[in-house]
Amino acid sequence: MKDSEFGVTQMTKQQYVTIKGTKDGLVLRLDDKCAYSDMIAELRRKVEEDGLEGLAEVQVQTGNRYCSEEELKEIMNIIHGSPNLRVSKIQSDVITMEECNRKILENQSETFIGIVRSGQVVKAEGDLVVIGDVNPNGRVEAAGSIYVLGRLKGIAHAGANGNAKAVIAASWLEATHLIIADKMETMTDELTILSEQPEMECAYLHPNGFIAIDRLQELRNLRPGLSSFKGGS
Amino acid sequence: MGEAIVITSGKGGVGKTTTSANLGTALALQGKKVCLVDTDIGLRNLDVILGLENRIIYDLVDVIEGRCKVQQALVKDKRFEDGLFLLPAAQTTDKNAVNAEQMKALISDLKRDYDYILIDCPAGIEQGYKNAIAGADRAIVVTTPEISAVRDADRIIGLLEKEEIEPPKLIINRIKKQLMASGEALDVNDITTHLSIDLLGIVLDDENVITSSNKGEPVVMDPANPASIGYRNIARRILGESVPLMSVDAGKRGFFGKLKSIFVKS
Repeated sequence: MKDSEFGVTQMTKQQYVTIKGTKDGLVLRLDDKCAYSDMIAELRRKVEEDGLEGLAEVQVQTGNRYCSEEELKEIMNIIHGSPNLRVSKIQSDVITMEECNRKILENQSETFIGIVRSGQVVKAEGDLVVIGDVNPNGRVEAAGSIYVLGRLKGIAHAGANGNAKAVIAASWLEATHLIIADKMETMTDELTILSEQPEMECAYLHPNGFIAIDRLQELRNLRPGLSSFKGGS
Repeated sequence: MGEAIVITSGKGGVGKTTTSANLGTALALQGKKVCLVDTDIGLRNLDVILGLENRIIYDLVDVIEGRCKVQQALVKDKRFEDGLFLLPAAQTTDKNAVNAEQMKALISDLKRDYDYILIDCPAGIEQGYKNAIAGADRAIVVTTPEISAVRDADRIIGLLEKEEIEPPKLIINRIKKQLMASGEALDVNDITTHLSIDLLGIVLDDENVITSSNKGEPVVMDPANPASIGYRNIARRILGESVPLMSVDAGKRGFFGKLKSIFVKS
């Protein structure tokens, strides 16, 4: 499949931008060997001559070319120059070392054993596992998710770098403040999401933009992506 | 070589000074040589509670600044034959007159001559607190069955755990039996689970604590007073004895009393 596709592109005269239709919409593959300016020039031409009717979703694939924020913006602007095209996502096979290192940190899990007492702050670059209680006015913060094996009675901030998929789970969820990404919820009495039974619960950012609380058992349905389980039978 | 124990709480008014005076007296009653150190510079009280106010000549700041020897500043409690001494705080200056290093040197000096040095810590977590804990080997955290006092105790325990001293022990002061039994005040179990440190003892609330403090005679001198028994038990535990925790059950209802209450409710 892939070979024949390559064959086609190479048989015709050198193409830097190939358009392919899939069931999910158009795929725009940008050549990653040529000069950036050549590719951009061809993209401009292709977008202008494109005779599509109706709105089409476009997936952009940059292959092994690393595009900076500005370059990505330029590509987006060119494609959006056509009224019929809308970029749904941009895929790249490469990332910078910096981004890679950050991702490694974010995927790590740190463990704190002890009690996070009033006035103390425990921070993690990735996920955070607290074995012990988080007392009122104690604060736990993580770029990833927070899991408390104990009573969470203080403040918890998950997804501190903006990860809205992060969750806060605790054996006993009785926090005063729950924060996920940039959304904060104060756990006041009038809040309806608070259940009578704070045992084994998790908090997550609901698609409606508010923090919701559910039974811990629901987590596998709510955030299946959190599972990184590999081994076992 | 003696042991220095700091008595602290974070919150004010929970009974640090009363506890210091009573534990010091109780340890002296047990035949130990005790020195009480008041570090609440600017707001000293320990001398008043012990009834030693009129005998103060020099104070802690005088000792630190070299105006007198430590032995000259120590006030002897005449009720005990060389058993109980007080190093009073200065009243005319503030907590910044002393630093942690100086306190450390002073306390290690005193440890040579006394079995126990009880350091009465001021409220708060600023310089006064830092001075008070500087020379201590152990810490006792005093709290009352109130949420605010428990919160502050939690904060203080967090700070103490960072220091190089033994894990702090807890005293729950001013327990009102009725309120605790009816569930209106936090109970002993709630507090110890929340703070998760060892309980050294509990002290019941009693009016005589105030009246005897006003007379300058710590309540622990009275062997029958319920608060006094609490303090005496704590002193014995400090000395390493194993003493069972006193009961806080308010009701003296027997089987028939319980039976009656079931019928009365329904």
